[in-house]
Amino acid sequence: MARKVAVVAGGHSKFGKRYDATMRELCAEAYKPIYDDGITQDKIDATVLSYAASQFTGQGAGSALIADYLGLQDKPHLRVESACTTGTASLRAAWGMVASGLYDVMLVLGVEQMNRVSSATATEYMSQAGDMRWEYPYGISFPAFYALMASRYMHEYNLPHEVLSMISVKSHHYGAQNPKSHLPKEVTLEEAHNSVPICRPLNLYDCSLITDGAAGVVIAAEDRVKEFTDRPMWIKGIGAGASAMMIQDRNSLTSIPGAKRAAKAAYTMAGLKPDDINMAEVHDCFSIAEMIAYEDLGFAEPGKGRELVENKEIYHDGRIPVNCDGGLKSKGHPLGATGLSMAYEILTQMRGEAENQSRQIKDVKYGLAHNVGQSGQFVNVFIFERGW
Amino acid sequence: MAEHKEIYLGYSSDKAVTPFLQKFLEALDEGKLMKSKCTKCGAEYLPPRQQCQKDMNECELTEFTEREAKLYSFVIVDFAPASLSSKQPYIVAIGEFPSGLRLTAHITNPMGPPTVGMPLKLAFEHHEKMVTYKWLV
Repeated sequence: MARKVAVVAGGHSKFGKRYDATMRELCAEAYKPIYDDGITQDKIDATVLSYAASQFTGQGAGSALIADYLGLQDKPHLRVESACTTGTASLRAAWGMVASGLYDVMLVLGVEQMNRVSSATATEYMSQAGDMRWEYPYGISFPAFYALMASRYMHEYNLPHEVLSMISVKSHHYGAQNPKSHLPKEVTLEEAHNSVPICRPLNLYDCSLITDGAAGVVIAAEDRVKEFTDRPMWIKGIGAGASAMMIQDRNSLTSIPGAKRAAKAAYTMAGLKPDDINMAEVHDCFSIAEMIAYEDLGFAEPGKGRELVENKEIYHDGRIPVNCDGGLKSKGHPLGATGLSMAYEILTQMRGEAENQSRQIKDVKYGLAHNVGQSGQFVNVFIFERGW
Repeated sequence: MAEHKEIYLGYSSDKAVTPFLQKFLEALDEGKLMKSKCTKCGAEYLPPRQQCQKDMNECELTEFTEREAKLYSFVIVDFAPASLSSKQPYIVAIGEFPSGLRLTAHITNPMGPPTVGMPLKLAFEHHEKMVTYKWLV
């Protein structure tokens, strides 16, 4: 029988173009508030320290570098890589090690340093997560994969681009209130709808950011939780899913099959249904990705996600608040940190500690994190429960 | 394969060419698109796989003769990965053949923005040391 596992602390660097730091300093910035919370190195049994893409830094054996920099060089560590789900995959791996009894207390930290190369080079590296033989030679960038989904979704459901832009407006509205955001500014619907094309039908404001940053959490076994906090966040449900490698091999482009499988598994493990969820952090790497997430997670029927947007039900005071931290769009998307940033945000919201009450969601008992890698080849869904 | 012809697929190269892929490229160089078929269960793959996804048995290359397809989805890439910056903007399209098999390639003669469902015609192109398949509208 697996032991119960809780998130007992979290830390988060400022996201942005961090020319003042590299991978190691960003990790220290994320660990510092955890250390200040009393979880010093001697209390940590082992670590998972991850980043998605070695190309950005050229650093091999990165978990050793990070562990050493954080003063954890004598603790077991490993790196997990699964594209943009690297953060939640790290958490899933660590959960297994704690639930099984291998360790009691683990630090799980994700980071990405993306801005030391040009945007075109960063786009190149990310396109290498497509099939190198059959997709990469045709220049299918990361936004291009989602644009292929957008074109099909807009066709099947007759969706105008303005609705996607409304999602971006919401993301920036909340990102502007989050001091950790990469791009903390409001945008108008007109600006979002008419910005420069990147991969049509997606434009600049449909796309998440190329961000430097780190985020992490500490998890503990149930009988150790009280040593660290009286406000734990239990890991209530975990689901993981996968989808075909080549996007042309998906039966449908209006949904991510791995996300539906991951959501179903997480809801089943938690004994919950979509209506029970009080807030969600979803993987809005592109505006269309957030729209599809509403439907894959069961917050809306297929093709009806637009109603959540048009009725503002995804705002902090709506039926199902989504990404009230700015999401990948405005807070930013440092690949390996993103999933752990989601967990950090849910912990922050549950504890009522959003820096601005204008983005504080009331009375969060259950929070869901939906983290997608590449164009859906990896998906992790976590459901967290307030433990006090 | 007496002679090794140095040809690579597409507009930027993955140079990890196997003997199986070399046969595919040489056929493409002659204007033939090859799919693959499992020698045991008969499953078909486009683009081809050397081993069957279902039972891991060897597949053989056979000629794919369909030429007319419908546009299943598309993207106009305005901001490209660094290796293809010189070609931007370009259109990537997934075409679906009447058999249900699909192929991903560029539309190289766009008459305007594509629309889902529009007819596409498969064609071939030689580009320096590259060879590729493409869509015409």
